[in-house]
Amino acid sequence: MAEEKFYLTKKGLEKIKKEYEELKALRMKKIKEKRPEILHSEDSNPEYFAFQEDLSLMDAKMAEMKNIIDHAVLIKPPPKEKQNIAQLGALVTLEEKDGKINEYMIVSSLEANPNEGKISNLSPVGKAILGKKIGQEVVITSPIKIVYKIKKIKYDLD
Amino acid sequence: MKNLLKFFLETEKLKEMPRTGWVLAGIENPERIAEHCFSLSIISFLLAKKRGLNQKRAIQIAFFHELCEVYAGDLTPFLYYPHLPKDDEKRRKTLMKWARLCQKEKEKIGKIKFKKEKMALLKLIKFLKPNLKNALLNAWLDYEKGISKEGKFIHQLNRIDTLIQSIEYFGMEDINVRTNWWEWAEEIVEDVLLLKFLKVLQKKFYEKRPIEEKEDKELENILDFIFKINQLKKMPRTIWVSMGIKNPETVAGHIFTTTLMGWIFGSERKELNLEKILKITLCHEFPSVYTGDLITPFIFPKGKEKREIFEKWPRLEKKEKEKIFFGDYQKERKAIERLTKKLESDLRKEIIGLWDEYKNNLTPEARFVNQINVLAVLLEALLYQKKDKYLPIGWIWEWAYEKCEDPIIFEFLEELKRRFYKKI
Repeated sequence: MAEEKFYLTKKGLEKIKKEYEELKALRMKKIKEKRPEILHSEDSNPEYFAFQEDLSLMDAKMAEMKNIIDHAVLIKPPPKEKQNIAQLGALVTLEEKDGKINEYMIVSSLEANPNEGKISNLSPVGKAILGKKIGQEVVITSPIKIVYKIKKIKYDLD
Repeated sequence: MKNLLKFFLETEKLKEMPRTGWVLAGIENPERIAEHCFSLSIISFLLAKKRGLNQKRAIQIAFFHELCEVYAGDLTPFLYYPHLPKDDEKRRKTLMKWARLCQKEKEKIGKIKFKKEKMALLKLIKFLKPNLKNALLNAWLDYEKGISKEGKFIHQLNRIDTLIQSIEYFGMEDINVRTNWWEWAEEIVEDVLLLKFLKVLQKKFYEKRPIEEKEDKELENILDFIFKINQLKKMPRTIWVSMGIKNPETVAGHIFTTTLMGWIFGSERKELNLEKILKITLCHEFPSVYTGDLITPFIFPKGKEKREIFEKWPRLEKKEKEKIFFGDYQKERKAIERLTKKLESDLRKEIIGLWDEYKNNLTPEARFVNQINVLAVLLEALLYQKKDKYLPIGWIWEWAYEKCEDPIIFEFLEELKRRFYKKI
């Protein structure tokens, strides 16, 4: 059976690796001290598991993260001649008829956070944008019809 | 107990706080934050099971996801929107679409919102016991960051719940102009089941096409059920209306308090099944969709002031009590059977079973929720009495002492006395 691959940006993969290491350290600490406490971390996973009394949940999450790290595929910018096409990792600037600008970064489900403008390639908006070129129209239509024109595509993945 | 009461008094405010999006859209008397937590919890209960997720976890995340708004308020990107016109008409038009922002603005707004809400939540839960504090923070983090499958699912479902509410408010009026809630949902929904659910919504309301496939039909029946349950967000509680309270809590608002209390007090009762407590509290008023909010055993003879009737808990013989109970039970049973008629048989059986357990005090969890229900009514009454000191609420105390037996609940009753009747 083919192994599942996880497409991540460099930043996304680094974040998961960092969180995984933090979780490992936290696990050791918890075994020694056995005292759950709220940890204020910049990262969500360590903070979340810091006060989880149930170690099995943490173990399951760590196994999931390890699997992602082991099978991660870094999203790289496409060759120069294809950088005018919206693919995973692209920051896409869309322009509406009235000149209003909207931007989305297309990422995989693991990194999606629409509150911060990062949308999943599996969402209807993500699907409508993927594969389109600069200058082409993007029609988001289900059931409403929003028409954008792709103004700019940028791959800033380092 | 003092800190718990403080926590409940703060969270009660969510029953009065309207959701910002509806206010900006000009809806009069829109749903309150607490009522939105209620409907999202119900829809999570129904769909999490279908998706094979942990129902307890899903309901908890849905239920707690907005508690932080007690202090943070209901934050929408439009509150930070740099392009919002001052002219009313232009402003209205801008708000009909979802916010157009560049990536950096989105990131900035997202981070401000996260930070503000986290600080607010930490302030709210500060004095709770570590286990409660951790569970609440945990559920919120999971919702915000999608740490578990359930967290991701509920975050997406939240936008669908809001979309459903928008259909209730606006119908099909201006569908090609008022696109904001569709856009908002389509940015985030990626779960297979939820994408199907969106398609069903689209077919049913926008394309008005018949839904034929079996799974789609099941989703349509869940959708119809949600629309019916949402009526509880508009139904003021009869008891408060009869007592002359203006703009009282709705049935959904009452369910919010009962569920929150059920979870908090139920967490202290390790021998009880917390998932069952949550589900019973969420379902215990479902028949009201058809029966209205019944307030028997109170009877209102003509010519008698309603307030007089509430001076005392009704004095009745055992046979009369049984007769009243049975009458209500039959009406409500018919109502819940009608309400759940089109749901899949397992789900229907579960909902009717939970309600029946509650109504007949059949299990330890049901007995516990029955006591919690009285507490929720009493707390609300005490808050109303603060504004109207002649409000007759002695009957609720009588009712509470008749019904409550759990030591934790007694302890809380004592705390209520201390807090609201300081001379005692």
